[in-house]
Amino acid sequence: MNLRNVTTFILAGGKGERLYPLTRDRTKPAVPFGGIYRIIDFPLSNAINSGLRKIYIFTQYKSLSLHRHIREGWNIFSRELGEFIDLVPAQQRIGEDWYQGTADSVFQNINILEDEKPELILILSGDQVYKMDYRRIISAHIANKSDITISVFEVPIKEAHRFGVLKLDEHNRVIDFKEKPSNPIPDPKNPEVALISMGIYVFNLEILIKKVVEDAKRIDSTHDFGRDIIPSTIGKNNVYGFRFIDENKKDTKYWRDIGTIDAYWEANMDLVNIDPLLNLYDREWLIRTFQVQYPPVKTVFSGEDRRASVTDSMISSGCIISGGKVYHSILSPNVRINSYSEVVDSILFENVNVGRYSKIRRTIIDKDVVVPPNTEIGYNLEEDRKRFYVSDNGIVVVPKKYKW
Amino acid sequence: MSKKRILIVEDEDNERLLYKEELEKENFDVVCCPNGNEAVAFIEKENFDLVILDIQMPHMDGIETLGRILTKKRNLPIIIYTAYPQYKDQFLTWAADAYLIKSSDLSVLKDRVKTILSEK
Repeated sequence: MNLRNVTTFILAGGKGERLYPLTRDRTKPAVPFGGIYRIIDFPLSNAINSGLRKIYIFTQYKSLSLHRHIREGWNIFSRELGEFIDLVPAQQRIGEDWYQGTADSVFQNINILEDEKPELILILSGDQVYKMDYRRIISAHIANKSDITISVFEVPIKEAHRFGVLKLDEHNRVIDFKEKPSNPIPDPKNPEVALISMGIYVFNLEILIKKVVEDAKRIDSTHDFGRDIIPSTIGKNNVYGFRFIDENKKDTKYWRDIGTIDAYWEANMDLVNIDPLLNLYDREWLIRTFQVQYPPVKTVFSGEDRRASVTDSMISSGCIISGGKVYHSILSPNVRINSYSEVVDSILFENVNVGRYSKIRRTIIDKDVVVPPNTEIGYNLEEDRKRFYVSDNGIVVVPKKYKW
Repeated sequence: MSKKRILIVEDEDNERLLYKEELEKENFDVVCCPNGNEAVAFIEKENFDLVILDIQMPHMDGIETLGRILTKKRNLPIIIYTAYPQYKDQFLTWAADAYLIKSSDLSVLKDRVKTILSEK
C-alpha cells in the first residue's frame, strides 16, 4: 500500500467535560500531559512515525490553544510534496450548525474527500495516549479485503461496560457490536477480557461516504462514529477487528482514553515509575511536541536546612528548584519551586510558582498560577473544596491563572 | 388523506411550470421556487414531503442547497433532477434519495416520486 493513498482524520472536537477544570480553557486534545506534551501529540506522533503525511485535524470547542500548538509545533511538512497537517474548524460549509458529532464533522467536510479521493481513510481520536504503528492496521485492512477495520483493545470484563464491545469470529471478522452493554461479551480466546473499540478505524473511501451521508439523513442519530456509524455496519459490511499492537512492546499493552481527573493523574504518575508502561525514551518511536526554548533545569541551595531536592520526578526545562523539595511529581517547563516548600504526588503545569514554605500534595496546578508563601493544598480536602475542584479520589485541581 | 407536498427548485421558468402541472395531475400539492436560497428559506418555514432539486442554478448550486436542506430537515427526501450525469461523482449528491437525468418523458420522475413517498 502506498501511504500517499491514505488520508488521516484526527477527530479533536472533544469537550472533555469530565476533565474539567483542565478543559475550562482548552479542548481535551490540548490538555498537557507528561510535562511537555499535549494529548494530541500522541496520535500525531504515531501518524508521523507510521509514515502518514496527509493529516486533517477536525476541531471545534475552545480550540485556540490546540490551533496554536499545532501551528507552532507541527508545522513540519512540505506542502510542495503533498504533505500537510491541516486544521479544520467547524466552518459552516454545510448549514449553520457546529459539528453535531464526529460523523457530522466528516460529513460537513465531505469536499475534502471529494478533492483528494484517497483509497483509505484512517480515523483517529485526538484525545488518547498510546503508541501504535498504523501501518499494521492498514495492512490488515488490505489483507482482509475489509470495508472497515476497527482497532480493538482487551480490557478486564468488569470494565468493558463503559465502552463499545465487539465480538470477533476466528478470522477477526466483527460479528457483534454493542455500545456500553450491561453484559459485555467475553473474548472467545480469553473469558476474563472483552474486546473494546479504541475509536481507531480504517475505512474504504466509498463505504465511509455512504455511511456518513446515510447517517447525516437519520433524524434519530447522534452522528457519532462509535454510537451510530459502526453499529449500522455490523452484519451488512465487511468489518474486521484488528487486535492492537503496542509499540511500547511490554507485557501489558498501554492505551489510555483519559476520561477523568483521577485517570489523568494516574496516567501521569505512571510515568514517574521506574519502568513505566509508556516508554517515552524509545528512539525508534519518538513522541514529539512543541517546546519553548528554556535553559536546562537548575537546582540551587545545598545547605542542611535550605536544600533543593528532586526525587522520583520528571522536571522539564526552564524549571528552577530553589531550595524546595519535589517528590514523585511532574513539572512542566518554567516552574519555580521556592525555598522550604514541598511538592509531593503532584502535577504542575507551565509557569507555576510555588511560594516559600508552601506544601502541595496530590494536586494538579494548571498554567500561570502563583501559589503564595505558606499555602497548603491537598492536606485538608474540606478546605480545598471551598476553593478548588476535588476529584472522587481526592485529587485537587487549581485552575489556570487562579488568583489568591 | 391530505395531499403530499412537493417543493420544486428549478431556475428554468418553463421547466418549473411543466413539472408543477404534471405532478399536480398526480394529485400532489406542488410549490415552486427558482433558487437555492429561497428553497432553504421555504423549508425552514413550511413542511414538505419531498424536494425536487436542479443542480445548475444561479447563486447557490443544487449541491450546496442539498447540504443546507439536510442540516435543516435531516430526513426530508430529495430527488436530484439534472441534465448532467457527471455531478453524481460529487459525494454530497449521494445524500439524495435519487439522482435522475432530465428527459422529456416525465414518467420516470413521477414514478420515483411515488415510490419514495410510498416508502416514507
